[in-house]
Order: sequence, then structure tokens, then C-alpha cells
Amino acid sequence: MVPASAMKDRICGIARSLDDAVEEVFQLMMGMSCLPTGQCPSEEREMISAVIGLAGAMSGICVLYSGTTAALRMAETLTGAPTTKLNDTVKDAVGEICNMVAGAWKTRQPSLTSDCMLSTPTVVTGTNYQLHNQRPKFRVERFYCFESHLFAITLLCESLQ
Amino acid sequence: MADISALIVDDSSVMRKIVERALRQAGLALGEVLEASNGVEALGLLARKRVDLILSDINMPNMDGLEFLRQLRDQNLAPDVPVVMITTESSEEHVRNAIAAGAQGYIRKPFTSEQVKDRILPLLGAA
Repeated sequence: MVPASAMKDRICGIARSLDDAVEEVFQLMMGMSCLPTGQCPSEEREMISAVIGLAGAMSGICVLYSGTTAALRMAETLTGAPTTKLNDTVKDAVGEICNMVAGAWKTRQPSLTSDCMLSTPTVVTGTNYQLHNQRPKFRVERFYCFESHLFAITLLCESLQ
Repeated sequence: MADISALIVDDSSVMRKIVERALRQAGLALGEVLEASNGVEALGLLARKRVDLILSDINMPNMDGLEFLRQLRDQNLAPDVPVVMITTESSEEHVRNAIAAGAQGYIRKPFTSEQVKDRILPLLGAA
């Protein structure tokens, strides 16, 4: 059994890697900074969640959760084309951002790089919903801000080999 | 240099457009750009059309990028065309598997147009 202090250190390391991964994706693909914040995204008329599964040495999911406003802006900066509604392009763009964040985070975990695979993105939209995971081994949730837009990234680990 | 025709294989239509934009920003004189959302579609296109460059993701439904590469070789499609993988999977093992399957280059997502330029232009010069 992992001592509580060691687990705390591990989770802090995971959070730092996640912060670095988010900044890398936003800088390289969208040309903007995206930094951790203490504020969580507000509920909007429609919310969007992109989910990437992880399997192998680590089983779990990486979830990007955002309101419509932030999602539209993410898609616009990623694609270079303005958009006014949560259409397939926006869902695709948010899925790809989550995919790249999960991949960039995994690259920073030496024990996972070769032995943990990523799924293709699944994207959920709607209001007043929750993604439920039974008995995660650990959960890391971070909030981020770019251009005053907020979103969350959550890493849920079910098992770690 | 004559215009380069390219095939971009990725299940994300957004990523296909981003890759095309990165190729143009890298200074490539792009002509026709074909798109496929998985390896099966890509093989179908290559049976009918000739391209000068292929860029492919690895994680795709129906047929992933590594199987696509193996099928390219087995079916002798596009034998002299350089293939570059563009993917979030970045371990040495993934790179080795891609090269063993027939890829000439590997770019990790997220990427810059400079990285695209550095990895792809030399391949086109050699081809």
C-alpha cells in the first residue's frame, strides 16, 4: 500500500505534468498561453465534455469539461475559422485538444509512455450531467484559463500497474 | 519544384485541416490534398489516385495507422511515396513500430509548422 505522503507527492507531480501538457498544447497549436487557475468553469446553457480513455499500465480517463463559450473559442483558435454554435467542428476540435493534452501528459510519465494507450475521443454535450466513475484510485482535477475563458481537465485513474 | 499532392489520414476533420495548414505554412507548394478518416478509406483513395506525400495518424477506428502502413506495403500501393506519422503516441516503441512498418518520419502532436518543415521537406527532396 502506498503511504499517504507518497501518494500526495505523486498526485502533485501528476498535476504539474498536466499543467505543462496543457500549456504546451495551447502554445504550440493555438499560439496562446493557458495557465492553471483556482476558478472553475461556470455552468452555461450547454456544456461539453471530451473524454479520452487510457488503457494498459494505467486505466482511466482524461476529461476536458467546458462551457460553450470557451469551446467555441478553442475551436476558433485551433481551426482559424470563427464559429457561433456547438457544431461537429467544435466537438471535433475539443476532442482533439483533449487528445493532445492526454498524449502530452502521458509523454511526461516515463512508466506510461510505452505501456499506456489512448482511445479516440468521445464527446458529450448537454446540460446538468455528470460523468461517473466507480471507485477511482485517484482523481486529479485542474482548472485552466485562456483569454479569460475557463475549462477543467480531470484525470481519473482506475488502476495503476 | 512542382506542386506536391498529399494524402492526410486522420479520423479528425479538424486535425486534417490543421495538418494541411501546417504543410502550407512550412512552405510546401501544395497541389491536390486528399483526405481520409481511416486506413480503409486511405487505401481506397490510393488505389485510384497518385500522391507525392502521405501523412497519417496512428489511433483511428476501422484501420489504425500501423495497419494502414502494413497494407500499403502488402498491396504495393504508393511504393515510392514518403509516409510520415503525425500522432499523440510518442514512445520509442511506437516510433520503432512505425518505421518497421514503413514510415519514413514521425511527428508528435502537438507540433509546430517548423517541425513539419524540418521532418518533411528533406523527405520530398530525397524522393
